[in-house]
Amino acid sequence: MSYIDLKTAPKREDRLNACIAHGGSICEMAAGKGKKSCLQNDGDRSFTQGNICLLLPALAMLNTLPDNVVLQHSAVGCGSCTHSQNANVRFGSNARHGKPKDGIWLSTAMNETDVITGGEDKLEQAIIEADRRYQPFSITVVSGCVPGIIGDDIDSVVQRVQPEVNARLLPVHCEGFKTKIWATAYDAVYHGIGRTLLREGEQSPDADGLSPYRGLERLPYTVNLMNVSSMGKIDELELERLLNSLRLEVNVFPVFSHPESMVKATQAALSISTCPTHDDYFLSYLEERFGVPALIHHMPIGIENTGLWLRDVAARFGREQDVERIIEHEEKELKAALAEFRPLFEGKKVFISAGEFRALATARLLEEIGFTVVGIRSFHHDHFAEVEYEKLAKSSTEDYVVDIANVQPFEEANLLRRLKPDLFLGHANGNGTASKLGIPTHAIYHTALAYIGYKGVYEIARRLHRQLKNPIYNRKLADNVRLPYRGEWYETSPFTYITKGDAAA
Amino acid sequence: MSDIYIERPRYTCAQGGAAATVTALPGGIPILHSPSGCAGNFAWTQNGGSGLQVGGYCGTLAIPSSSIQERDVVFGGDGRLREQIENTLKIMDGSIYAVLTSCVTEVIGDDIKSIVANFRAEGVPIIGAETGGFKGNSYLGYDLVLQSLFRDFLDRGVVKNKKRVNLWGVIPNYDPFWRGNLEEVRRLLEALGLEVNTFFLSDDTIEGIRQSGSASLNIVISHAYGLGAAGVFEEIHGTPYVSLPLPVGASATESFLRVVGKTAKVSSKLTESVISAEKKRYYRYLEPLTDCFNDLDLQRYAVVVGDANYVVSLAKTLADDLGWLPELAVCTDPLSDDIQVRLAGQLQNLESGYATKLIFETDGSQVIHHLSEKWPSTGSGRYRNTFGPAFIVGSSLDRELALEIGAPHLSVSFPVANRAVLDRGYTGFRGGLRLIEDLLGAIVAGR
Repeated sequence: MSYIDLKTAPKREDRLNACIAHGGSICEMAAGKGKKSCLQNDGDRSFTQGNICLLLPALAMLNTLPDNVVLQHSAVGCGSCTHSQNANVRFGSNARHGKPKDGIWLSTAMNETDVITGGEDKLEQAIIEADRRYQPFSITVVSGCVPGIIGDDIDSVVQRVQPEVNARLLPVHCEGFKTKIWATAYDAVYHGIGRTLLREGEQSPDADGLSPYRGLERLPYTVNLMNVSSMGKIDELELERLLNSLRLEVNVFPVFSHPESMVKATQAALSISTCPTHDDYFLSYLEERFGVPALIHHMPIGIENTGLWLRDVAARFGREQDVERIIEHEEKELKAALAEFRPLFEGKKVFISAGEFRALATARLLEEIGFTVVGIRSFHHDHFAEVEYEKLAKSSTEDYVVDIANVQPFEEANLLRRLKPDLFLGHANGNGTASKLGIPTHAIYHTALAYIGYKGVYEIARRLHRQLKNPIYNRKLADNVRLPYRGEWYETSPFTYITKGDAAA
Repeated sequence: MSDIYIERPRYTCAQGGAAATVTALPGGIPILHSPSGCAGNFAWTQNGGSGLQVGGYCGTLAIPSSSIQERDVVFGGDGRLREQIENTLKIMDGSIYAVLTSCVTEVIGDDIKSIVANFRAEGVPIIGAETGGFKGNSYLGYDLVLQSLFRDFLDRGVVKNKKRVNLWGVIPNYDPFWRGNLEEVRRLLEALGLEVNTFFLSDDTIEGIRQSGSASLNIVISHAYGLGAAGVFEEIHGTPYVSLPLPVGASATESFLRVVGKTAKVSSKLTESVISAEKKRYYRYLEPLTDCFNDLDLQRYAVVVGDANYVVSLAKTLADDLGWLPELAVCTDPLSDDIQVRLAGQLQNLESGYATKLIFETDGSQVIHHLSEKWPSTGSGRYRNTFGPAFIVGSSLDRELALEIGAPHLSVSFPVANRAVLDRGYTGFRGGLRLIEDLLGAIVAGR
């Protein structure tokens, strides 16, 4: 892969033709019609609401790294999202090391003078001071929009300062205006890790380019379990349990992993992704430079998908018979346990909103426990998800709406008023619209809660059962507050403001 | 303190403070002229720092944003902004719309002033503020929105009403206790017979705000925030202002009411009777606390860490109302020299006579070093005069300091990640009681 040799990771619009503006349906997406129009010619919106940029998911990963300082090079606000992400760092440290610990993040707080004269000198001094004061193993130098637009070259600064400091310096490019696909964040972080901590040149000189990092041995039964912060410790434990049952050792990478130990990832016999939206960029790198093959097909959310995910892994190690026995046992036990919840779920309508793969896999899970899916919003679309749309199109008796939108609550409000679902699952800061419409809501992702594997299915069902037993909070809220949209908006097509894309409804 | 970076900044940028301010106005709709991520960054910031308060009528990811992209950076974002405003007016139901610029749109030089002025000329209730993040932090953003509001939204030339006052100086959500703090001061001012407009409470209306030029006095309960706006107000609407410290606790509130009463020409008889009734009530509450306060030995040394509003006011009430010993007060805001001098002046000549050292330090991890300088451990072996029993009043980022010196802790100043805040506030007599409850509650939590 040549991408890693570039200064910055390419944006996903270019690398994967990913898109964010499309109003379609499950059958259309599965039949590839959505793919044709969407991937070749992304739509646009003539009205948009704010969402996030790649900086947020990038920081969600970087803040977890032990012994690392995040140095944000931008105006003072960029990275203030860390105030909520820090809760994950504290919980995560506590779950892994028995002690809550705050992340360390700094901002060069670029001011008007820096905008005019450039911020490279300030960044240089900041790196030196951060190295002196905190003595970390690594400093991730994260650029925001301001250096991107005035032309500060953080890579040159890092190169210049590296010999003067003890910390390893990782430049990570997060100039928000440059990509509308925030999943580019994962590539940006992996790019920084690949270029600085796992450089090809640090393999054995006599290697054919496909051996582990210099001086290290291949570990034939160790697998990399990729986690970019979409799983908490509780979910890691579930997947470790299942992989251990296949007699495999697990190396979780990269969240909460010490930067010094990241070289371990090059020793594994296999890298396993839990979400193609996250990992394809880096898995290709590990495969092409260090000979670590990768699995990147299914997300282990839901009964069927967890089985498919496990079968793929087992096949790589010739353990097909073992895995069938394990799956049969797990499914039998799980299905019996789910029986008490099912009557309350049966026939209830659900709308799901999340990153594309997570939304689709969770939709399948909800079908498995008795819900009927009436709508999905995926934050973006790329070709990795085609197989998931096909699964859902097959399992549903009726066609339903798929909104490709980087959140855009106005479209959601319009859709929810029409569809009147009995339940809504959405991301953090993404459940408010449904709540104000009186719909019971549940977080589709939270690092303190279980979602993944067989245990995840049970725990989601248990939580939804609890919430649906008394959803009065949202109902009363809806009686007393209103959404900020005009009445006329609800009479209009939800996709009125999607322009240009061929498939705009 | 480092002047080349800020450690864990306890605020966001000007645009973030501005967006929170507009969302808090009745029917307020912010329109960010920015890349797509700014709104989400602010939502996550409040999610982690504002005592579980995120959004409002039009907040978080519902906030309209021009979401400009690389091509707009090259060709200019004016056209995109016009389109976004037009469509916002069709979809979003607001009483006031406010265009807020970002770093990117300011660097590329988009001309929002004339775009906004054109919409206003057509009768749209819209204002604009240049809130690029590199201009400053959330406190500046609050000030800039108020300046635009006063300049471009308020009716001009309205007849003054002697009894009417405007009150501001605490920033929505970047003071997690903003609503409680405004409500209590409003209640006390109403007790003085004044009509109060507070802009951001459920009692306030957009019509009342439009008419707020009728006020005879503006009261800014801050020595640092919202003062630029007070100047603009005076210049355009001819209303003078007083800038007073955030009145936290009984003593500060008592002097606050005397100053305001005198300035607003309230009869001193009425002012004194209000103070006397409030104090009577306040001490009726404290009376039955007294046994336990003494028996459990609840006096504490303290370190106060906070923003420009809280740091001085909290230190003062600890020293002058509770008889605690705030050795060190650490202000985490970057402030101009003259404001630093004003704040320092507040802690000189405390009624208790206690000498609190005020320092300005943006980096929380350095507080422990300042404390060691202020309180070097004396003695040895079993005879050591340690800094204790102690208490840390600060933000949730000061929990590590509290752990390090083995002291209980209360989060008051942003970020407040570990408390749920709705209508609680620390201003006034009632806020003073809340503060005592929360401080002592933290000490006896394991009882």
